[in-house]
Amino acid sequence: MNIHNYEKIWLVLAMVMIIGFISTVVYGATAVGIEMISDEPDTIDSTALDEDDRFSEPRVEKVGDNEYEAYVIAQQFIFRPDPITVPANSTVTFYVTSPDVIHGFEVVGTNANTMVIPGEVSQLTVEFNEPGEYGILCNEYCGGGHHTMEGKLIVQPEDEFEQGGNDE
Amino acid sequence: MSGENTVREIGHDEFDPKGTLVLILIYFVILSIMWVFMYFVEFLGNDLSVIA
Repeated sequence: MNIHNYEKIWLVLAMVMIIGFISTVVYGATAVGIEMISDEPDTIDSTALDEDDRFSEPRVEKVGDNEYEAYVIAQQFIFRPDPITVPANSTVTFYVTSPDVIHGFEVVGTNANTMVIPGEVSQLTVEFNEPGEYGILCNEYCGGGHHTMEGKLIVQPEDEFEQGGNDE
Repeated sequence: MSGENTVREIGHDEFDPKGTLVLILIYFVILSIMWVFMYFVEFLGNDLSVIA
């Protein structure tokens, strides 16, 4: 087969580029530690969330030094708790589930974003460094009030953060 | 292929599409810059990344 020299150049370049794409993603997954949303937690009875230890009372709970867990329910057409309050300089694992239909859980303007499926618990861990405020919104069409479904995520300065600031 | 109007005939390797090569190189450069920007600036630089 006779391949022109110029063609060899751009064939090789295309290969190099594909290898480059793959290696940057591998770099992100290993060196930077970017993870996918976990599907590890067991399934849950979506009709009996109020009997579940975690979701009967949606809240933020301290589980270690600067480590928190947030149990969040996304339902038509609110997020609970609202607002979700976490301290700065902390690592927070969100467990999000739905009692009705598929919702989205997106911390607006960030990479923290997952689908929320009834019967499943979406798990994502993120780090909060600076105090601030984020919006949360549902990005899966979930019914007539979908466009109003939003929440708030408040990152409080460490010294102002009160454990159990949500409903306790 | 040679007709009455053929001025000059060249072989396969004698034809060098330099313009095409330059266009493709420019395209590759644009793609590389856009990839670096998208991945390292827009994605990794976008705080609250999922780490577990």
